[in-house]
Amino acid sequence: MSVIKQLTDELSRLPGIGSKTALRLVHHLMKGSKEEAGQLSRAITKLIENIKICKECGNFSEDEFCEVCTNPARDRSVLCVVEEAYEVGAIERTGQYRGMFHVLGGRLSPLDGVGPEELNVAALLRRITESQGEIQEVIVATNASVEGEATAVFLEREIRSLGPCVTRLARGIPVGSDLEYVDGTTIAQALVGRREM
Amino acid sequence: MRLSGLVLRHFRNLGSQDLEFPPEGVALIGDNAQGKSNFLEAIYYLETFRSFRGARDEQLVGFGQEVFRVAGIASSSSPDHRRVAEVTAAFERKDGRKKVSVDGTEPERLGEALGRLAAVVFSPTDVDLVSGGPKERRRFLDMVLSLNEPGYLSALQEYKKILSRRNASLKEGYSGSVVMAWNQGLISSGSKVMWARKNWIEGGTQTFGDYYVRVSENARARMTYRPSVPSVGANSVDEIGEAIRGALADSSDRERRMGTTLVGPHRDEVRLHLERADDDLDLRDYGSGGQRRTAALALRLVEAWTIRKRRNETPLILLDDVFAELDQGRSERVLELMEEEEPGQVVLTAPKEADVKIKKDKLALWRISAGRITT
Ligand SMILES: [Zn+2]
Repeated sequence: MSVIKQLTDELSRLPGIGSKTALRLVHHLMKGSKEEAGQLSRAITKLIENIKICKECGNFSEDEFCEVCTNPARDRSVLCVVEEAYEVGAIERTGQYRGMFHVLGGRLSPLDGVGPEELNVAALLRRITESQGEIQEVIVATNASVEGEATAVFLEREIRSLGPCVTRLARGIPVGSDLEYVDGTTIAQALVGRREM
Repeated sequence: MRLSGLVLRHFRNLGSQDLEFPPEGVALIGDNAQGKSNFLEAIYYLETFRSFRGARDEQLVGFGQEVFRVAGIASSSSPDHRRVAEVTAAFERKDGRKKVSVDGTEPERLGEALGRLAAVVFSPTDVDLVSGGPKERRRFLDMVLSLNEPGYLSALQEYKKILSRRNASLKEGYSGSVVMAWNQGLISSGSKVMWARKNWIEGGTQTFGDYYVRVSENARARMTYRPSVPSVGANSVDEIGEAIRGALADSSDRERRMGTTLVGPHRDEVRLHLERADDDLDLRDYGSGGQRRTAALALRLVEAWTIRKRRNETPLILLDDVFAELDQGRSERVLELMEEEEPGQVVLTAPKEADVKIKKDKLALWRISAGRITT
């Protein structure tokens, strides 16, 4: 396989990048300076060598535990459950949320063979139990898709029996959209208007 | 609504043709297998973006071609004939891509572009609506309600999405709490679908019976909603939702065993039957050929009535050689009835000029041979 084809194939596996765009990126890199392409290559290497998954919440982290989990100023009585780690960033950027996070790593999706076992559910329930009542509210911020809604219903039943009150983001997040692509103001409003399930 | 212009590009055998339609309509005359039904299929494609004959889009692309395209101009049926919308649809065989636009803009969802012609198509295969399985009648209900009831299509699509996931949960043997996690969504979308079906059937059965008796001149027919969820007396979406909730709870053991969701609108039935003094005759099981064809016609007439009532539009009537299989008495009475309803534009197909019996002398006579239309 030619080196051009190899890189094109790798790039076209990224979300939102088709084979034409991938080829255009490769051409751009070939035309630019070696220094520029080297910087990109080193940044990617650094990312994969340094990024870890937080052992507590599943968020991206450079250390064993992430910046949220190790920050003593965060409010440990509120826990926000999201589907994917990149959605933590979307909520953090609103600057309105001071609680903790828990990343599920997906949503109930039986057609793809994803059930509770494939998600970070057991760890979530353990965290709540082990907090011995410190976690008083769990905000379920799964997406407003049919799968995200079912995941929320499922979690609500599991969590409520352990004690905390379970809330859901207010409507207003467009149906079916990832939090990642929703603007900060909308997310902030959905957080403020959250309701008990 | 009426059609004032039609552009055809490689739809089935129709090649490349640009046609202008007179306000009263057209009678397209031609022998069998020349493309008469294809022509009506192309027009109706602009209403629902799928073949009314159940063909897949790939099958609609002309022989040796890669792409078909159909475009139509819908105009008001009121005397001013003002242009209302230009609807186009194209399909590319290679990547299976369908492109739809209204006035040059692609809608975000296909559902937004549905129903621009306000057309109803009558076809000899309509008899399947009566003699076929419950699925045929559900498909008919879904089409009529998607086109005429705001919010129906999105509720139906959501219901189907949730149903397939709930069924997969049952089939793969996930725990009861995973299966139950889908109930809330299933109930909220399913109750909207059932409520709309119930209202349409109950509100239309009188009209259905009136049409039937006019054509058949004897017994009266009715349509009755037979939902899989016992919901007699349910008088709101919420009450239907409660009925579904109860039925789901009652059938949860059987569901586990059978690995599929057993109650909900995907199991609904519409019963078509004749009212008689001493008993009640199910048309699907016991109707004669003539009775079934009459009931199918009556269903299409109720569809046209729904368009007039719900959308306040005069429907564009498409008749695909529809009287060929009715006896003379029945077809004369249907024609009389259709004329009484003051049809707007009519586009019909027939093998011979002498078969054109509706809007006589008002329709332009076109001919078709090997897909070529001469006006
Ligand atoms: Zn963490």
